[in-house]
Amino acid sequence: MKNILTSQTKIIIALIVIDAVIMVFLTLLSPTFLTYGNIVSLLTRMSELGVLAVAVTLTFISGGFDLSIGAVMAFSGMIAGYSTLLGLPLFFSILFALLGGAVIGLANALLVVELRLQPFVVTLATMTMVRSIVYGFMRGKTITAFPDSLLSLGDKYVLGIPLLFIILVLCAILAFMLLKKTILGRYIFALGGNERTAFLSGVPVRTMKYFVYVLSGLLSALAGLLLVIRIRAAIPDAGLNAPLEVITAVVIGGTSIKGGKGSLLGSLLGVFAMFLLINGFSLLGLNPFWSVIILGTVLIVVVGQEGIMVPFIALLHRKVRS
Amino acid sequence: MNGKKTISWYLFNGVKFREFPILLYILIMVLFFSFTTPGFWAVRNFENLSRQIAVVGIVSTGMTLVVLTGGIDLSVGSILAFSISIGGRGIPLGRPMWIIYPVILLLGTLLGFINGVLITRIAVPALIITLGTMNIFRGITMVITRGIYITPIPPEYTLIGRGYLPFFFLLIVILLFMFVTLRTRLGRNIYAIGGGEQASLYSGVPVVKYKVVVYTLSGFLSAFSGLILVGRSGFIQPQAGVGYEMNAIAAVVIGGTSIFGGSGSVLGTFFGATLMGLILTGLTMQAVDPYWQGLVTGILVVLAISLDSLRQIRGRGQLISKR
Repeated sequence: MKNILTSQTKIIIALIVIDAVIMVFLTLLSPTFLTYGNIVSLLTRMSELGVLAVAVTLTFISGGFDLSIGAVMAFSGMIAGYSTLLGLPLFFSILFALLGGAVIGLANALLVVELRLQPFVVTLATMTMVRSIVYGFMRGKTITAFPDSLLSLGDKYVLGIPLLFIILVLCAILAFMLLKKTILGRYIFALGGNERTAFLSGVPVRTMKYFVYVLSGLLSALAGLLLVIRIRAAIPDAGLNAPLEVITAVVIGGTSIKGGKGSLLGSLLGVFAMFLLINGFSLLGLNPFWSVIILGTVLIVVVGQEGIMVPFIALLHRKVRS
Repeated sequence: MNGKKTISWYLFNGVKFREFPILLYILIMVLFFSFTTPGFWAVRNFENLSRQIAVVGIVSTGMTLVVLTGGIDLSVGSILAFSISIGGRGIPLGRPMWIIYPVILLLGTLLGFINGVLITRIAVPALIITLGTMNIFRGITMVITRGIYITPIPPEYTLIGRGYLPFFFLLIVILLFMFVTLRTRLGRNIYAIGGGEQASLYSGVPVVKYKVVVYTLSGFLSAFSGLILVGRSGFIQPQAGVGYEMNAIAAVVIGGTSIFGGSGSVLGTFFGATLMGLILTGLTMQAVDPYWQGLVTGILVVLAISLDSLRQIRGRGQLISKR
């Protein structure tokens, strides 16, 4: 029975336990935590970072890397805002916002695939560029002129569950089906496992890379729209901390930054754990920058788990031998 | 080169043609701005320009060493802010300058050392580690200072940021590290590690030691440029140095250092920083909103790394001579 419990399932079980422990802790510390209002606001706020986490999980599994997610969020919000200001119908502003994200993803893919550049550096550069474009156009101002038909989505509930959270769940289910039930999913895993082997076994490596980066841009743009709906405005600083928060959450969830391994459920549980922590900090009235410090530390510790454990294991071996 | 070592041998032996196109671009930019921008040749403008280049240039020098080993350091801006904000807390208490300055430099060195230890102990790309430490250092700075500026600061602290003094310090740093990279064992090993880490390890290069040294130096230089920034601006703000990592990476890759490590030079970075400073100052003088600077920096980075990558793709199959 032991081999049923893979490392993946172990991580997910551990995360569920951690989430539960934090929730119990917060319930004891703060009387307002376990109220319907707080839980709903938690789930709503989780939705956009959850969608980003889906994007990052896909990119990581394929062995890629995308730092531009946060900037694309702001970019899509900006496009939606300006389209609305120009008087375009809602459908087109949403379409253009999503297309904008896809174009950035395409640019990332072009640089990574055609010029064989490192995804780290490419997406760092596109992140800077896109953020600069957003700042340049918006000049630190927010756009609030969105139609009520869009904004009212943020107040809709289905069976008491916020609609934005349901959009996240739908995205996650679709991505899960893509990864587990289609040939594309198997290609993505193969690509991340070993690019050379994947290429030699007939995986269309280049096409798959384009697919992953464009999808990542598209999902980030969707996350940007969700943020617009939630806070009822497009802000130039949208998603400023997203790379740190989302990458940390995804890595906590057991997705390897080296590719070929990962789970969407783990990523979402990771995002949830992160939000519980951030929520807890604000309920306890701590400086919000504490969460940045803790996230950074968690990122290094979790990513380095293997690396930190290696010397210990070596030490144990030495002791056993002597 | 038998026996007699002239100054130019020390300076330019090891500098290959890769740096010279940048000199050409610098010339083109100077000509362009001198025709299009009135007041470009004003003394005040050059003073300004030299100070701007100095702060970014010193950070970029540290970044060059890191990139030469095949790594990257995203935490430079946060280290800068941490050192001056935490070290500068002694200023309102009336501590003398000869204590404050060493403390600031020491803090930067310490944070760089922490980066180096983490990167060598944990088998994870330096980008992830420094993405983490970048946020940790910035977070600690914000928590301790609560976002409050330190101002006013005594006039002796602005001494280092006056006139052409920052540029003078930049030149010293550049010359020092040109010597280090081209003429010392440390420099040779930095290139060796960037050229092939496994191979260097097997040929007996103490890779871990040198990598720690490189990140420590990067931290030290970040803190040092922090001193100049404080001298220039006359106050200490905890948000200082946001986005410096991108500017430094830009100066490094524009200067011809390969982002894959193992090839490039400190002199190239100096030229890269100069070109960046010229372009950004020129744009500001053309009344372009500073918000667009990130776009320009990003485009320059993408162009530089694309050229480097094309060179590598074309050079495949032949012996690629490093350096």
